[in-house]
Amino acid sequence: MASLTARVRDRRTLRRNITALAFLAPAIALIGVFTITPFVQAILLSFQSWDGISLETPWVGLDNYEFVFGDDEFWASMKNVAIFGVVGFFLGNALPLGMAIAVNRIRRLRTFFRTVFYLPGILSVVVVGVIFLFMFEPRSGVLNQMLDMVGLESLQQNWLGDPSFALPSVAAVFIWFHWGFGFLLFLAGLQDIPEELYEAAELDGARAWAKFRYVTWPQLAPVTTIVSLLTLLAALQIFGTVQVLTNGGPGSHTLVPTLLIYEEAFTNNRYGSAAAMSVLFGGALVVLSFLQLTIARRRADK
Amino acid sequence: MRRNPTTQSVSRPMSRRSFVWTAGSLGIAASLLLQGCGSGSDSGSDDGTVELTFMNQSRGQEAALNALAKQYTKETGIVVKVESPGPSDYLAKLQAKAQSRNMPDVYSSFLAVDMAPFYKAGWAMNLEPELKGAWGDQFAPGVVEQSAFIKDNNLDVPPGIYSAHWETQSYGLILDPARTKIDPKAPPKTMDDLITALKASNKDGKGNFSVASSLTPALIQQFASNWLTDQQISDTFAGKSSWKSDGWRKAFQLLLDLKKAGVISNGALPGGQGDNPAVETSFFNKREVGAIFDASAGVSVGKRTAPNYTDYASMPLPAASDATLAPRSPGVPGKGAVVNPRGKHPKEALAFVKWLTMPEQQKVFAEEARIVPTSKELLAGGSLPAQLTGFAAATENQQKVTNSLTPDVNAALTRDTQSLVLGEKTVDQILDDLQSAQERG
Repeated sequence: MASLTARVRDRRTLRRNITALAFLAPAIALIGVFTITPFVQAILLSFQSWDGISLETPWVGLDNYEFVFGDDEFWASMKNVAIFGVVGFFLGNALPLGMAIAVNRIRRLRTFFRTVFYLPGILSVVVVGVIFLFMFEPRSGVLNQMLDMVGLESLQQNWLGDPSFALPSVAAVFIWFHWGFGFLLFLAGLQDIPEELYEAAELDGARAWAKFRYVTWPQLAPVTTIVSLLTLLAALQIFGTVQVLTNGGPGSHTLVPTLLIYEEAFTNNRYGSAAAMSVLFGGALVVLSFLQLTIARRRADK
Repeated sequence: MRRNPTTQSVSRPMSRRSFVWTAGSLGIAASLLLQGCGSGSDSGSDDGTVELTFMNQSRGQEAALNALAKQYTKETGIVVKVESPGPSDYLAKLQAKAQSRNMPDVYSSFLAVDMAPFYKAGWAMNLEPELKGAWGDQFAPGVVEQSAFIKDNNLDVPPGIYSAHWETQSYGLILDPARTKIDPKAPPKTMDDLITALKASNKDGKGNFSVASSLTPALIQQFASNWLTDQQISDTFAGKSSWKSDGWRKAFQLLLDLKKAGVISNGALPGGQGDNPAVETSFFNKREVGAIFDASAGVSVGKRTAPNYTDYASMPLPAASDATLAPRSPGVPGKGAVVNPRGKHPKEALAFVKWLTMPEQQKVFAEEARIVPTSKELLAGGSLPAQLTGFAAATENQQKVTNSLTPDVNAALTRDTQSLVLGEKTVDQILDDLQSAQERG
């Protein structure tokens, strides 16, 4: 009797698995064609030499990797993107969190602020770039004009042309462009925190900072994990904003790997070394993502 | 015992009706897909009409080219479709077309270094035999040679001529006489005089001259011609001669002199994807600067974006005070076309390009797009718009450099000139960088 029940259970499990696989088959096929295949092709291309046009793609072994490892510009771009990553990770989380807490407290204008803060996120990256090109323009740009109007002429800068300001300016645009996404998630997370927790904390005599430290922050852990991971990845993959605003300049002060890879492939017609750069940079992103997810999961488990 | 509803519904066999519906739908979808794939690269039509596709790079000539294509269709019955993806997307889209083996019948030529892979891969007809005949005679002397790839060129393109042009492009200054107090009829004789004039007219202290980072290779090449022959410049590009020679050092020093005099707008060179359009906007539209270094194509941009502003002139750059040679504009073949020999109608495509380069059509381009023509008849006619006369004069004394900057050197030069102007690098450091880039490329 027991073996009959087990056989029925096994058959049912098998049937369930086959059904699940049948449903997943189209997704597996699409992932195979559009994710795995290009990924494998990129790895193969990193061992080949190809100008993007000719029919021949000779194998060159590790030459492309050797070139990339010895390329100062690649490492300069990695350094720049690390700065973008740090700024994106900390400011890209702190600002939306602060905005979400502020908006969560008010009732009347909540919808207005929710809309306004999310507004940048619906714009195309090129539109954002063009808007800020006008804003940062050293002579007729809005920013310098406003400084002039309020008598702070001495603070006027060549925001995108001066090496000291170019990277912070582009980073500021990135934060502005992405804060709506984090803001919405944090706001939703805040609204999910049970009011009783705050009431209990108040009864224990907790003030604002203590309530944030012991109630809000731990309760937001899952949201913070997602927002920080996605903001970090977006900051590390920054491309359009840099291309439109500075194209990596002045000098190489805002050059990032994605832009360098694009130039290597489409301007220099060296698809092999562009693929090698992609493999190295993509690999670094994957490692970083796993690392961050592991740390965040441990924090959430606590 | 309760049965699992999900398992039950999935494991139920398909009914005959459902099977017929599913198979029928898949069949229709597959046939539509196959039909769609099959019609992608057809460049003819069922009624036997020949259809040519022209992929155009320039926005400035777009209107004139569209009008001429219509006229050609009317005259010959050959339909010409013009695609204009825009200057910044052009090369990437052309590459995508090459990768999908769906190249247009005719396409715009661009800088030699960018076009070389297409020529090497066989996507360009060698026009040399045609251009050596009567067709070539209609062009001004030197124009055809400018687009020729000589034996053992540094881009490894097989010797030949792969493009025909209706524009000869030169580089120089576009300036507003009122804002710079420079009389184009009595221009500054030396660079020192020019710097003095620009300094005197720099009233707001923010600089009265601008040049885009992407054009600094042409500016430096022009400066270098004060001390280097065309052969020496060409040898440097090919890696046969060093970047660390005095001629190049002095060329960068001239740019530094402009910076030290405080005449460079905002003390920096604009960069970014649209750096030259931004410089042109600052001159033609915002009138923030009185002089810019630009290619003759900038005049065409001015006509399109600020049609009412015509009070400006063009002039070649003056000589350096210690020049040992007469300075020469870099001069490159401008707007023109390449014929795809693997297209469906290469003969018809060649005939169309020949027609486009005839004086009648060149006149349309020159008038509508304000470009310097290549036809000797038009150049001798003296009927060019006033804004182009300085650029046209520069074409008479252009450099004939048979090799091109490698992409690595071009990128290093573009970035390093920004660093030089910002005071981050010295001239010697830049020359070291360029030499390294040359050796790497």
